[in-house]
Amino acid sequence: MNDLNIASSQSTPGIESDTNAGILRMHGDSYPENSFEFFDPIIQWIEDYLRLRSEALHLELRLVYMNTSSVKAMMDIFDMLEDAHGRGRAVSVAWYYDPRNERVLDLADEFREDCSFPFDIAAAPQ
Amino acid sequence: METIDLFSLRTHFNRNRILLCFNGPISRSLIEEIGNALKNYLQAENAQPTAAMDVFSIYIEMTQNIRHYAQSRGYGDLESAATVIVARDAEERYLVQAGNIVEAADGEALLARVDALASMDKAQLKATYKTQLRQPRDAAATTGAGLGLIDVARKSSLPLKGNLSPIDEERAFFSLCAFI
Repeated sequence: MNDLNIASSQSTPGIESDTNAGILRMHGDSYPENSFEFFDPIIQWIEDYLRLRSEALHLELRLVYMNTSSVKAMMDIFDMLEDAHGRGRAVSVAWYYDPRNERVLDLADEFREDCSFPFDIAAAPQ
Repeated sequence: METIDLFSLRTHFNRNRILLCFNGPISRSLIEEIGNALKNYLQAENAQPTAAMDVFSIYIEMTQNIRHYAQSRGYGDLESAATVIVARDAEERYLVQAGNIVEAADGEALLARVDALASMDKAQLKATYKTQLRQPRDAAATTGAGLGLIDVARKSSLPLKGNLSPIDEERAFFSLCAFI
């Protein structure tokens, strides 16, 4: 399967995947007008990884601001991880945030409420 | 030819402590550019990072909602115009206000929705947000998830204020104000 390597723009996050290491990284702001279009290839990559591979999947997130349609797309991603976790797959998320901005902590924390797989939120001074 | 009295306009802006205003057709890239200017203003004003993010986030949700609405109604450039203001009030709060042309019936429904959200406390707003987040996505809707308005209400430190001014029998100007 092909790895993702999407450069960040003003309104879309940077995305990199490493299939062999089982890691997906997302960083930056996410507020595209059409979030579903933007997130489609990312959701596709996760689907493929979970279907074709049996190793663990780890999401390393440094997302900052997300508009509500990005939040909706992100929830779809966490739902996929939750399903995989329920089937016994090893999945995990680590979300790093700048401690000066607690809004990012609130955002990550609200996602974590609906997830039962390992989901770490850690302050990471920029 | 009569010219516009720019000085009195400026005085009006200054008296109302308007940081940023826009009136006209709004595009995707314009939303981003004005958003960028807004971020810079807030940084220059030494706004708290959380307040700056709340103001930016409300601005994005309001303007993207206006774009999505105009697209869903098939409006042309003229009707897709937005009027946006970011200002400070006497209590040093930030005010984010945005308005657009709507079908009169949509405006009434929107106003009722805003009033319903304005009457909820933070816990009720969170529950409403989470319920909406779990709604199946409308296959025809490629854009919004119906969350924007609830998100704006959650971030506003005072209840949202909506207003509807009739234009003619069919249309009205809807405006929404949030406070940080």
